[in-house]
Amino acid sequence: METLLQQIINGLSLGSVYALIAVGYSLVYSILLFSNFAHGGFLVIGGYVCYFFLGGYFLSNFFEGGVGTNIWVAAAAALVGAGLSAVIVEKLAYKPIRERTPVTLYMLIASMGMNIVIENIFVVTIGGRYRALPSVIPMKPVSVLGVATTSQFDLLALATAVVFLVGLQIFLSRTKWGLAIRAASYNLRTAGLMGVNVNRLISLVFFVAGMLAAIGGIFLSARYTLYPQLGAITTKAFVAAVIGGLGSLPGAVAGSLILGLAEMLATGFVSSQFRDLIVFVLLIVTLIVRPAGLFGKSVGEKV
Amino acid sequence: MRRIVLCIMLALALMTSAAAFAAGPEPIKIGYLAALTGEYAPYGIAEANSAKMVIDDVNASGGVLGRPLELVVYDTKSRPEDAVNAVRRMIESDRVVTVMGANSSSINLATAPLVDKAQIPQIGTATTNPLVTVDENGKVRPYSFRICFTDPYQGTLAAEFAMTTLGKDKAAILHNVGLDYAQGLREFFKASYTKLGGTIVAEEGYRDSDVDFRAQLATVKNSGANILFLPGMGRDMALIVKQARELGMADLAVVGGDGYGEFMNDIAGEAMIGTYWITHTDQEDPVMAPIFKRYEDIYKEECKEFGNVTLAYDLANWVVDAIGRAGAAEGPAIAKALADTKGLELKHVTLTMDENHDPYNKPGIILKIGDDMRSHFFMKVEPK
Repeated sequence: METLLQQIINGLSLGSVYALIAVGYSLVYSILLFSNFAHGGFLVIGGYVCYFFLGGYFLSNFFEGGVGTNIWVAAAAALVGAGLSAVIVEKLAYKPIRERTPVTLYMLIASMGMNIVIENIFVVTIGGRYRALPSVIPMKPVSVLGVATTSQFDLLALATAVVFLVGLQIFLSRTKWGLAIRAASYNLRTAGLMGVNVNRLISLVFFVAGMLAAIGGIFLSARYTLYPQLGAITTKAFVAAVIGGLGSLPGAVAGSLILGLAEMLATGFVSSQFRDLIVFVLLIVTLIVRPAGLFGKSVGEKV
Repeated sequence: MRRIVLCIMLALALMTSAAAFAAGPEPIKIGYLAALTGEYAPYGIAEANSAKMVIDDVNASGGVLGRPLELVVYDTKSRPEDAVNAVRRMIESDRVVTVMGANSSSINLATAPLVDKAQIPQIGTATTNPLVTVDENGKVRPYSFRICFTDPYQGTLAAEFAMTTLGKDKAAILHNVGLDYAQGLREFFKASYTKLGGTIVAEEGYRDSDVDFRAQLATVKNSGANILFLPGMGRDMALIVKQARELGMADLAVVGGDGYGEFMNDIAGEAMIGTYWITHTDQEDPVMAPIFKRYEDIYKEECKEFGNVTLAYDLANWVVDAIGRAGAAEGPAIAKALADTKGLELKHVTLTMDENHDPYNKPGIILKIGDDMRSHFFMKVEPK
């Protein structure tokens, strides 16, 4: 019983970080109908921006000792930095393609390329070594009902994920731009004909997706460690987005929590060596039973 | 930015020095196979830098056999398949006479057939799996060598340390199921530990790209283990220790293998205090102090992976010595000179090779992480 509770808590905390990343995948997919595999790159950019701001390495070429900042400034910079990079990547790599062809497969391949490009920019400029964020986020163990343990960090990660996901939901349902995004997710062409500035809309979507990736990046690099290949973890988030139904935001969240729980419970009660086998069988079964995922809106190309 | 400028300057310096050699005798090319990117980059970059220092020193004092040396560094990207391509290019297009590195058993196992066929000796730095130098049929691979101790020895050392020195009789093991090194070390630890009367209460696995180990650790916690043995690589082991402490396992003793790297203390911080690691060398070795200092002056960064720096430094000197004794810059002659090495005084060891191409009776060092979150010499273990 204690073990079960412990694994459920661990699963929810892992799932909430997956959710932040998975939502970014789904958001882009809902508009442009392709899976943006450069998403892991945005996450890494967010992590590094935060790291450099926190450590005072930023502007150290211009000011003696650099300008060290607190976590709030660093996090804000990371969000904006990753958001802007996402917009730039869209303008550089995807816009020329989507203007020339309606086939989204080319954008998919371009996104895989961009992922490799971003990873290697970090490898050649600042090196592949592991970096640890200064301990700005509290990590102390917290007892849950006296039978299981979690940490302040996990509670904070969960809370942040909830705040941003609810905020995103409000943005999408209550604002004019949110309405435009929802309209575009039904049909981008028609939304354009109705007077929505499509290019600006797409930039906005990428900015938001980049920001969410940056939050994931900050939490992942604080919990684990920061290195150029950290974006590889987005594979799991992508699987979560597919289980939930690509293009559906509630689906991405549900899929992430299911995946996080499945991973933890499989490890805890079956075997850690069978974990990935169980998780991917879960994915395949979901796709056989519900090809569009749990909350998917239509059956189309998944990748 | 400063680093980019440094890189450009380095490249220019290399080009001009290559031009200078062009006038004199043809250089002897030696390959260095290192992980410059990917998971094991912290170890690989340190090794390539360290070997470069030795080669520059040798060139400054006139080279070997009247010829200068040229170091050709290739990236394994931490993956055996890329390492195979790198070694093929070293041998076929660069025509190296010896391959130094890599530091991972999986990589040297993959490249062993290639160097055997080309008759070019390859020497691993931290390739501790026994199969690296002796194949499954017990036949010695004629062109594969190592400068480190082997996993059966390391596993015995860890088991004896856990049982006898620490007196912990219930062990849990957490290992990477896709890594030859980890699989081997785990087997050897298990065999010795159970022979000494200990019980393995939990054995959990993980995969290369994993960063979250809480589920496995929860199982370890419930198993009642009083010691955790980690036969893995630095990043994984650091994250495991960190997450174990976060889950409230404060009293669990931790002993790990030579995948230890000083950067683990950055990743895991205070969680590392009091953990033990079996390695080849220690940071406070007075013989190595001036070399670490020079490394920091040249490369402008802290010499964190001191184990790899030491191994690569001694390896490069050993290869230079072997080429000199071979009297010719040819693979078979150098391989023979390497195998015949006897009582060679290096920095961290007096090297004598046994018939399996392994160093004979090489001592191991146990490090303990102190309150200052740095590793300190704990004890030296001589083979029985």
